[in-house]
Amino acid sequence: MVKVFIYPATSLILSDMVARFGHEPLGSAIGIRERIQTPGIESPPLQITPEEPKKGLKWAAVEVPSGVRGRMAVYGPLIEEAEAAIIIRDPDYAFGCMGCARTNELIQFHLRHKEIPLLDLAYPTSDEEGVGFVAAIKEFLTGLKTEGSA
Amino acid sequence: MAEYIPNYQGTVTKYVFVESPLLTPKDLAVKAYEISAGVMIKETCFGLQVTGTPEEVEPLIEAIREFDPTHIFIKDRGFPPGDERRCRANLGGARPGYLGHEFEMQRVRYISHGLGRVAGMDDTEMHAAAARRPEEERARPLDPRRLKKLIEAEEP
Amino acid sequence: MTEKVRIAQLSCGPEYSGVQKEIYDAAAMVDAEVFFPDIALADVQQGFSEFGLDVRSPDLKLAIARAKALVEGRIDADAVFIATCFRCAEAAIVRNELRRYIHENSTLPVVSYSFTERTTSGTLLTRMEALTTIARRRALLAREEQEGITMGIDSGSSTTKAVIMKDNEIVGTGWLPTTEVLKSADGVVELALQEAGLRFEDIEAIGTTGYGRYLIGKKYNAQLVQEELTVNSKGAVYLADRQHGSATVIDIGGMDNKAITVQDGIPGTFTMGGICAGASGRFLEMTAKRLGVDITELGPLAMKGMEDTVPMNSYCIVFGTQSLVNALAEGSSREDVAAAACHSVAEQVFEQQLQEVDIKEPVIMVGGTSLIQGLVRAMGELLQTEIVVPPYSQYIGSVGSALLASGFIRGE
Repeated sequence: MVKVFIYPATSLILSDMVARFGHEPLGSAIGIRERIQTPGIESPPLQITPEEPKKGLKWAAVEVPSGVRGRMAVYGPLIEEAEAAIIIRDPDYAFGCMGCARTNELIQFHLRHKEIPLLDLAYPTSDEEGVGFVAAIKEFLTGLKTEGSA
Repeated sequence: MAEYIPNYQGTVTKYVFVESPLLTPKDLAVKAYEISAGVMIKETCFGLQVTGTPEEVEPLIEAIREFDPTHIFIKDRGFPPGDERRCRANLGGARPGYLGHEFEMQRVRYISHGLGRVAGMDDTEMHAAAARRPEEERARPLDPRRLKKLIEAEEP
Repeated sequence: MTEKVRIAQLSCGPEYSGVQKEIYDAAAMVDAEVFFPDIALADVQQGFSEFGLDVRSPDLKLAIARAKALVEGRIDADAVFIATCFRCAEAAIVRNELRRYIHENSTLPVVSYSFTERTTSGTLLTRMEALTTIARRRALLAREEQEGITMGIDSGSSTTKAVIMKDNEIVGTGWLPTTEVLKSADGVVELALQEAGLRFEDIEAIGTTGYGRYLIGKKYNAQLVQEELTVNSKGAVYLADRQHGSATVIDIGGMDNKAITVQDGIPGTFTMGGICAGASGRFLEMTAKRLGVDITELGPLAMKGMEDTVPMNSYCIVFGTQSLVNALAEGSSREDVAAAACHSVAEQVFEQQLQEVDIKEPVIMVGGTSLIQGLVRAMGELLQTEIVVPPYSQYIGSVGSALLASGFIRGE
C-alpha cells in the first residue's frame, strides 16, 4: 500500500479512487482527524490553534499570511509522508481546507518538487472523459503497487 | 483557555455517498444496518457515515461498497458524526466541505460510467484509454473580448 | 434577555489561523452570535460570477456569493463581519470591495478586519460591540436632541473627559489626564458639576464610553455603557449639525485611531487601529515636549511652518523622534518641525487607515487632537477637503454619551 496525496485534498472522488484501487489516500480529513482526536487547548472548529501558523513557518515564511501557514501545518507533514500524488488541476470549488488559492499553489509546488510519481488530471465533464479519468488513475495506482512489491 | 478533551479517540469516520438509479440513500442505510454488527452508522441525505475503529470500519465499508460498486463512493472524514462544530444547525449553514462534495457529486456519474467501462478492459485497452485526453479537445467558450473584436471587424 | 444579534461572517482563513474561537468569544461577550450564511453551490457559482471580481481562492468566492445573498435579502442577518488574513493581497481586495458593496446596497452595519494568529477576542470586542449596538439600538441612535440633565464620561487612554448637558445645551465640562481610571473620572465629574452649578443628584442619566467605560459605568451606575465608535459618531454629527445625510468622522486618539463613515447619524463602516505610535496623538505630545511648548501651542506653531522642508514620515514613534531630533540639529525651525510632525501623523493615518473606509464629505475631526490646527490642516490637504472641527470636539465621547443617555430618562 502506497501513501498517495490527493489534490484537491478534500476530494471525495480521489479519496475513493485511491482507496478503491488499494492504496492509502492522504488528504485534509487525515490532518483534521489527527487534530480533532488530540487533547489540548480548545480551538473550534478545527482544533487548529494559533500555534499551528507558527509550525507552518517550516513551509512558508513569516511574511506569508497566517491562514496559509496554518493550512501548511496541516498539509506539510502529509506532503512529506506522501509517496505519490494525484493532482486535479482545476479545483475551483473546493472550499474550506482547500479554500485558499495561495496555499493550493504552494501545496502543488511542494508536490511537484518532490521526486514521487505524479498524475495530472482534469475533472471529467462527459462519460467519455470519465473513462479516461478512471483508466488513468487505475493504471497509475496499479503501477505503484507493482513497484512497491518488486 | 479551555482544555480540549476529544470524543471518539482512536476511531475513524468515513462518508459513504451513493448516486445510483437503483439504490437510494434510504435503501443503502437499510442494507448497511443489516450487516453493521453494531458499528455506528448514521444516515444522511447523501448516504451514510460509518464510525468505529479502523478494524471495524474497513471490512464494513468494503462490504457496503459491494452493494453497488460503481455508484458508491467513500471518503475519510476528520470529524465524528454529529459534531456540533461542523453541524449545520450550529453553523447557521453547511460546513464549507459540503459545497465541495456538492461540486464533485455533479461529476460522479462520469466516474460511475468510467468505472463500469474500465472494469471490463484488459491492460492494453486500459493503457489506451488512459493515454487519451478527451478533455484537451473540449470546446472552449468564446472569449467575449474576441467576440467583441469579431463584431467590430464586421463591416456594416 | 434580549434576542441575540446575528452576525453573518464572511471570511477566509480564521479557522486555519487559530482565531475563529476569538471571533466566537468576542461575539458572545456582546450577546451576539456569528453564523455562516448558508447557500448552495449553484448560488456560489452564480453570485461569484455576477459580482465580477475574478479571484482564485474558493473561500473568497464563497464570501462574495454569501455577501450577495445577504444584500439581496435571501439570508437574514443583523450585521456583517468580514475577516481575512493580514498581508493577503487577494483577500484585501475582496474585503474592501465587499465592505463597500454591502454598505452601499443594504442597511446592514459592516466591519472588516484583517487578522493574524495573534488576534485576540479583546481586539475584536469593540468592533463587535459597535456592530451589535448599531443592530440592536437603532431607535436609541436615532435620537437627535438631548433632553433633561444628563452626563457623559469618556475614559480615554490619555485623558478623561466629562460633559453635563441640560435641555440640548452643554452646561459643564471637565478634562484631566488619565492616571488612575476611577480617580480621574471622579475629578472630571467634579469639575463638570462645578461649572454647571449642579449637584450629582441632579443628574438624571449617565452614559460612559472609552477604555474605562465598564469600570466607571459600574461605579456611577450608568444607564448607558457604550463603545466609542457609535458614541463618537453620534457626538460628531450632533455637534457639527450634520445629523442627516452622510459624513466621515476621524478621531486620532492617544492609543488608537478611528475612522467612521456615518449615514444619518448611524455608523456604517469603520476602522479602528491598531497602528504604531508614530501615527497617534502620542507622537504629537512627544513633539510638543521636545519643542518645549504645551500641546495646546503645537497647532498654532505648526500653522506657521512649512512641513516640506523637514523629512519626517514614519509610523514608528522612535524613528519619528529621530527625524525630529535630526531636523532640529540641522537647524530647522520649530515651526517647520511642528508642521512636519502634524503632516507625518496625518499621512500615516491616511495611508494606513483611511483606505479602509470610503470617505464621504463632510469630514469631521474630533477628539483632543482635532484642536491641533496643524494636524487638521495636514489632513485636509491629504483628503483635499475642508475639514469640519465642531465646538467641544475634544469632548466628543462625553457629548455623545450624554446625548444618548437622555434616551434612558423616560426609559426608551
